[in-house]
Amino acid sequence: MRGGTTIETVRRPRAGLLGALPALLGLLLAPAARAQDVVHRWAPNPPASSYGERFDHLFALITMLIGVSFAIVLVLLVVPVIRDRARPGHKASFDHGSSLHDKRFTAIVSVVVFVVLDAWVLWVTMKDLREGYWNIPRPDVPDVLRVELLAQQWSWNFRTPGSDGQFGTADDIVTLNELTVPQDRPVVINESSKDVIHSLYVPDMRVKRDANPGSINELWFQPVKSGDFQILCAELCGYAHYQMQGKLHVLPQEQYDAWQTEASRIALAAWDENDAEARWAWEFKE
Amino acid sequence: MSGDHIHPRPTSFLRRYVFSTDHKVIAKQFMWMGFVWLFVGGVMAMMIRWQLAHPGVPVPLVGKLFYPRSSGAVPPDGYNTLFTMHGTIMIFLGLTPLMIGAFGNFCIPLMIGARDMIFPTLNMLSFWTLVPGALVGLFSLFVPLGAAEGGWTAYPTLSSTIGTPGTGETMWAISVFLIGASSIMGGINYITTTVRLRAPGMTWGRLPLTVWGLFFTSILNVLFLPVIGSAMILMVLDRAFGTSFFVPATIAHGGGGDPILYQHLFWIFGHPEVYILILPAWGFVGDLLSFFARKPAFGYKVTVGAMAAVTILSAVVYGHHMFTTGMTAMLGESFMLLTMIISVPGEILFFNWLHTLWRGNLRLTSSMLFAMGVIFVFGLGGLTGIYLATISTDIYLHDTYFVVGHFHLTMAASALFGTFAACYFWFPKMYGKVLSERLGKLHFWTTIIPLTIVFCTMFVSGYGGMPRRYYDHTGNPYTAELQWLNDITTVAAFVLGAAQLLFAWNVIKTVAGKRTAAQNPWEVGTLEWTVPSPPPHHNFDSIPLVVTGPHEFSNPAIRDGKDWIYQTEPLAS
Amino acid sequence: MTRLLLNSGAALALLAAVAGLLAPGDEAAQDEHAAPASPAAGPHARAPHAVPLTITQPDQLLAWVKDIERRAADEPDRFSQQDEVWVDARGEFTWDEENEVYWQAVPADLLTRGRQDFVQFCASCHGLQGDGYGRSAQGLRPPPRSFLRSTFKFTKVPGDFLPNDDALVALVQHGLDGTPMLPWAVSKERLREIVQYIKSLSPPEEGWHDGTNVIGNEIYTPDDPWAGREDEAVAEGEKAYHVNQCWSCHPAYVPVAELNSLRGVDAATTYDAKLTYGKLKTDSSYEVQGYAVAIPAPDFTWHTLRYSRDARETFQTIAAGIAGAGMPTWGRTSPEGKGSVPDETIWAIAHYVRHLVDTYHGKTAERAAFMAGVRAEP
Repeated sequence: MRGGTTIETVRRPRAGLLGALPALLGLLLAPAARAQDVVHRWAPNPPASSYGERFDHLFALITMLIGVSFAIVLVLLVVPVIRDRARPGHKASFDHGSSLHDKRFTAIVSVVVFVVLDAWVLWVTMKDLREGYWNIPRPDVPDVLRVELLAQQWSWNFRTPGSDGQFGTADDIVTLNELTVPQDRPVVINESSKDVIHSLYVPDMRVKRDANPGSINELWFQPVKSGDFQILCAELCGYAHYQMQGKLHVLPQEQYDAWQTEASRIALAAWDENDAEARWAWEFKE
Repeated sequence: MSGDHIHPRPTSFLRRYVFSTDHKVIAKQFMWMGFVWLFVGGVMAMMIRWQLAHPGVPVPLVGKLFYPRSSGAVPPDGYNTLFTMHGTIMIFLGLTPLMIGAFGNFCIPLMIGARDMIFPTLNMLSFWTLVPGALVGLFSLFVPLGAAEGGWTAYPTLSSTIGTPGTGETMWAISVFLIGASSIMGGINYITTTVRLRAPGMTWGRLPLTVWGLFFTSILNVLFLPVIGSAMILMVLDRAFGTSFFVPATIAHGGGGDPILYQHLFWIFGHPEVYILILPAWGFVGDLLSFFARKPAFGYKVTVGAMAAVTILSAVVYGHHMFTTGMTAMLGESFMLLTMIISVPGEILFFNWLHTLWRGNLRLTSSMLFAMGVIFVFGLGGLTGIYLATISTDIYLHDTYFVVGHFHLTMAASALFGTFAACYFWFPKMYGKVLSERLGKLHFWTTIIPLTIVFCTMFVSGYGGMPRRYYDHTGNPYTAELQWLNDITTVAAFVLGAAQLLFAWNVIKTVAGKRTAAQNPWEVGTLEWTVPSPPPHHNFDSIPLVVTGPHEFSNPAIRDGKDWIYQTEPLAS
Repeated sequence: MTRLLLNSGAALALLAAVAGLLAPGDEAAQDEHAAPASPAAGPHARAPHAVPLTITQPDQLLAWVKDIERRAADEPDRFSQQDEVWVDARGEFTWDEENEVYWQAVPADLLTRGRQDFVQFCASCHGLQGDGYGRSAQGLRPPPRSFLRSTFKFTKVPGDFLPNDDALVALVQHGLDGTPMLPWAVSKERLREIVQYIKSLSPPEEGWHDGTNVIGNEIYTPDDPWAGREDEAVAEGEKAYHVNQCWSCHPAYVPVAELNSLRGVDAATTYDAKLTYGKLKTDSSYEVQGYAVAIPAPDFTWHTLRYSRDARETFQTIAAGIAGAGMPTWGRTSPEGKGSVPDETIWAIAHYVRHLVDTYHGKTAERAAFMAGVRAEP
C-alpha cells in the first residue's frame, strides 16, 4: 500500500559531502600541531639483515597487486553510481541473477584472481621462508653467534657464551636490554620467558618471534649493516609492555672481537661461583 | 506444520516488555542493548585515542571522573583495561546483539513467513543470559586490582594469576562465557527455525540472503562458541582453583600446562568469530544491493555457496593468528595456504555484489549507501589481509597497527556498516517510522571519510613498525618518529565518534516521533513487507504461500508497471 | 529447564571438586642454589592464585622530627606548633612523649590501596611479600630490592637515614638506568600510597618501625663550582678519584706509573690483576634466599650507571653514598655540616665520571684504545 514516506531516488548527496568538511579540517589541523624537531617517518628503515629485503619486496609486490585490484573495484563501484542512478525513465537491466555465461565468467575471474593474486604471492613467500626466515643455520655452520634470551616483565636478558662457546660458564656475557652482535655473521637466538609471553621484535632486521614461558623458540638473522637498532616487545605482557625496549648493537667484526674479549674479561672478573641462582642458562636448542 | 492458530498477545507489563517471548520485542531489547554498549565501547576508543595522541595528558571532560588517582590521565594499567574492554564490548556486547540478536530475531521469522521463533522461551532466555553476562563484565571494572587487562585475546600467562592477579580477569572470563551461552541459545533457535518454520513455498532457493547469512552465522556460533566457553572454564579453573592448564611447569605450583594450548582454543573460536560477525552483514548487503539496484542479486546460488564454503573453511585457517608463536614450518604453511583459499569464496561473492550494481537502477538511500560502503571498506580491509596471510610479511606486521587497521576495516567497519544499512532499512518495519534520510546520508559521509582516514593511517603506522597495545609511543626513538601518525588518527577518530551522534539523534528523534511509515516504503517483495509496519504480535494473519524468489526486480514478467513483486505474488508466465 | 540448570550446576561442582583434588599443596623445598633445570625455572617462581590484598590493621610508622619539619614547611596549613610539638590537623602524625618520636598512622584502607597497587605494579620482581624475590627476579643481578631490610640505594638521602616519601617516589619515577627498574609511569598519588605500604613492610623494631631511625633529606647539593670550566674539573676529578682510592672498588683509569705518582707512593708499587676492572663486592643490602649476593662496582666506561644522567645526579649519588654497597656518604647533609670530602672535589669527580661515560661508554673502538693505554706495561 502506498502512502506516507516515499523514497528519495535522485538526490545528489550534496548535504552529505558537507559532512566531509570536518574530517578534512581535522586532517589539516593535525600536522600543524606537530613538534618540528622529530623526524616524520612513515616507512620502515631500510632492512639491515640478509633476508630483510625480502619483506620489502613482497610488501611492494602485494601492494601493487591489491592496488590494481582495488582500483578495479572502485571503478566498478563508482561507474554504476554515476551511470545507473535511478531517474525517471531509467530501468535496470534484468539478468535473471546469473546465466551460464555469467557463471563461467565468475569462475574464470576467480581462478585468475587466485592464480595472479594468491598463488604468485604464495610462491614468493614460500621461497622467502625456506631460504630466509626458517632457514636457521644448523650447528655445523661456522661463525654462528648463539644467544640465549630470557624475557621478563619488562626487560630483555641476553646471554652470549663468550669465547668458550658454552652457556652457563664464567665467561658468559649477560646483558640487560642490549645485545651486541658482529656484522655479517648469523645470529641464532633461543628465546624463552620467565613469566608471561613476550615477543622479540627487531623491525630493522624484519624479525619477530614470541618468547613463551616454559618453552624455547628459535629465531635467526644476519645483520649486514653496523649500527644501533631498536628492539621492541610485540606481545602484550602487562602494564609496562610499551617500556620493554632494547638496543641491538651491530659492530664490525674487529670491533666485535675487541668488545667480546673485554666483555668476557669483565664477566670473569665479576664471576661469583657460589651464586648459582644467577645462572639461568640452558642447553642450547639447535 | 505450525498451523494457523494464533496465540493471543500477553497482557502483563512484565510479559510484554521485559520477559517477552515475542521475537520482535526481543529484537528491540537486543538492539537497544547493542546501541548502549556500542556507545560505551566507542567512548573507550576515544579515550584510547586521546592517550595515544597526548600521552599522559588528562582526558578532557571525563578524565577526573574515571581516573581520579592520576589527575584524570589514563594510567598504564587503565589503558590496558580500556583496549581489553573496548574489544570485548564491541564484539560481544555491541555487534553481536545488534546484528545477530536484533536483526536475526526480527528478520528471520518475518522473512520466512513464521509467526515467531520455534523456541520462543529459549529466545527470551538468550537475551536474559546476555544481561548477566554484560553486568558481570560491567562490575569487573570496579573490583580491586582492576578489570581485565590481558587484551580481548587474554593470552595466558598474562591472563593467569601470574600476569593479572585479582578477580577482574576471572569475572571477564565468566562474562564471556555467559555471553557465549546466550549466543549458542540464539544460534540453536535460528537454525531450527530456519529449517522447520519456513512457510509453504519458501524453499531454500527462495530465502533472502539475509536469512542465509544469519543461518550460517548461527551454525558457526553453535559449533565454536563452546570452544571459547571451554577455554574460559579452563582459565577460571587456573585462576580460581590452582590448576595449571595454561601455566607451564616452570612456573606452576605443580604439574604443568601450555600457554599455547589456550591460543589454539581461543583462535579455533576466534577465527570463526570474525566470520560470525561478517556473515550477517554479507547477507544484508547481498539483499540490500539487489533491493536498491532494482536488479536480482547476481549469482544468488554461488553467493550462498561461497558463504557455505567460508563457513566450512573458517575452522581450519585459525593458525594465521599464531604465525609468530614458534609453530613448525609445515603447520604454518598449511594455515597460510588455507587462508589464501578461504579468500576465494569471499572474492567471489564480492564480485557478485559489484555485478548486482552493474546496469542496475540505483536508489541511493542511506541504507544503500551503507551497503555500498561495505563494499568499499571490506574491499580495502580484505585485500590487506593478504599481507597478513603471507607469513614472511606477517612476521614483520604481526602485533603492529597494520593488524589493527585490517581487522577494524573487515570486522568493525564492514559489520557496522552492514548493521547501519540494516537499521535504516528495517527501522520502518520495526517502529513504523522511517529514519530521516537527510541525517542518514550526512551520517554516512561523516562516517566513511574519517573512518577510512583512521584505519588507513593505521596501515601506515603498522608498516612503519608501530606495535599495538602500547600505552605511549614516544618513549623510544623508533616509534617516536611515527607519533605524528597517531595525531592524524586521533583527530579523525574524534570526528568519526562525533558523527555517530548523528545516528543516535536520528534514532531517538524518530522513535519519539510520529508513526508515518507506509507498509512497504522501499518497494521490496520479501515477506516482512507484506504485513503492517510495525507487524502485529502474530506477524501474519494467515501463513503466506510463497511462489516467487526475493530478488525478482525489474523482471519483464511483472505486471502493473512495477519493477518489484511480493514473494506471495506469481510472476506472469 | 530446572533440571538442565541443576545438572549443569552439579557438573560444574564435580569439575571443581576434581580440580581441587588435583591442585597440589605446598611444593617441597628445593635446593636454592642448584642450577635451574629448564628455562626460567626456579624455586621462587610462583603462580599465585590466592593473593592477600586487604590490610585490616592500620600501621604505626615512626617519623623522626626532621621529616616533620620538612612536612610542616611543605604544608603550613596542616601543621601547627604548640609547645615545640608539631600538631597535625589531619591526625596522621602524632607526638609520642614517652619515646620522643612522631608516629605516622597509616590508615588500613590506604595501606590496602598501596598493597593492591604494589601487587599490580611491583610484585612481579619484588615479590608478593616484598622480599625481592618475585617470579621475574630470577637470575637478576643486582637482585630486586627486598623491602624487608629498609635499606635503599640511590635515593639521594644519605645511607644512615631513612629516605623520605618524596625521595622514594622520585626514585621510582626516575628509574635505575641499566636495571629492570624502569621509570614507571605510575602517578605520584598512587606511588605515595605504594610507598606507605613499602614502609609498613619494615620488620618490627626495624626501619620505619624503629623510633631511633631518622628520616633524612636529600643530600645537600650546592651549585656546580666548575660551571664553564669542565675541562679543569675533569683533570681535578681524575686526580681526586685516584688519590681518594676510588679504584679499590671501581676500576683505575690511569696507568700504574701515573697512579703511583698521583698517589705519591713508591714507583714500584704493584696492584692486583683486577685494578682496571670493577671489583666484586658483597652488598650487605642484598640477600637472595639467604645468600649475600656480590655484584661488581661499575666500570664507568662500560656499565650503565644507575643514577647519573648528568653531573648533578652524579654528584648527588657520590655525595649521598650508596647504602649497603660500601660507598659511604662523602658529602654533607646540610649547608652547616661537614662532609668527608669537600663539595668542590665531589663535583670534580662527578665531572670526571661523566667525562668517562660520555667519551667511552658505548664506543667500542675508543674505549678499547683507551683501556689498552691504561693497561699498557711501562
